[in-house]
Amino acid sequence: MNALRPGDVLPEYRVGPISAEKMKTMSALMRDANPIHFDVAAVRGLGLGDRVINQGPLNQAYVVNLLSRWAGGAHRVRELRLRHLGAVHAGDRLRAHGTVTEVSEQDGERLAHCEVGLDVLGGDPVLSGTATVHIGR
Amino acid sequence: MTTAVPDEAGLAELVGTEFPGGEFTFEQWWVRLVNDCALADPADEAGSPVFVFLAATSAMGVSWEQLWSWFGARESDGPMAGEIHTVQHRSLRVGGTYAVRGRIESARRKRGARTGVFDLVGYRLDLHETSGELAATCTSSIIFPRRSR
Repeated sequence: MNALRPGDVLPEYRVGPISAEKMKTMSALMRDANPIHFDVAAVRGLGLGDRVINQGPLNQAYVVNLLSRWAGGAHRVRELRLRHLGAVHAGDRLRAHGTVTEVSEQDGERLAHCEVGLDVLGGDPVLSGTATVHIGR
Repeated sequence: MTTAVPDEAGLAELVGTEFPGGEFTFEQWWVRLVNDCALADPADEAGSPVFVFLAATSAMGVSWEQLWSWFGARESDGPMAGEIHTVQHRSLRVGGTYAVRGRIESARRKRGARTGVFDLVGYRLDLHETSGELAATCTSSIIFPRRSR
């Protein structure tokens, strides 16, 4: 991390196939009644395809997993700004990626500023944004 | 709160509306299961920024349907998440209890070439330690499609 510089690419994080069962559990944990996360008939009825749709916080979590594996823990992610661009369906395979754009120092801590994203493999982008990660003193 | 779709002046009046708020405690079992669903390292405990959003929206003091109703919308109208911006001033702790407070920060009617008319609403929720110190902030936006407008 000492030699980190703008343009450095973070090790990719791949995930999938995305599990419909984990979406069900997450709906219960979030008390989220939206049936698009657990009822294929509801998804079809809304014209959104034939597979249930992942929760936004789980998509965000995959980007955090990318950063956590790279930096040594999720607590090192100090700031995360993500824009929702598309949906993830059960069975999708995803790729979280990131690139360092700046390295700075604040209050004696070294921070890496990164561009990050999440894409469906062979498909569209799902999330795009920036992260600030604590990388040492 | 009204259930009619507000006009642009009505939208502006909703800016500053405060959430009733509440408290959220990170119970060990709940954190463990969320991390399992997120395929996260269990050692991350409640350190992920994702927990800020989950705790903040769980204890904002209104249900999602109630929040939609402030803007004259229902779940079936298809409100969508726009952007989410999370800042962690200190790591959230398993077993920790946090007070949630927040308000509507912005509300504007917009017109998109592809999407047509929609309202873009921004809301901020803060998590405070029991000492009162600010632990984390989550600022999010919601897109309300207004196809009939």
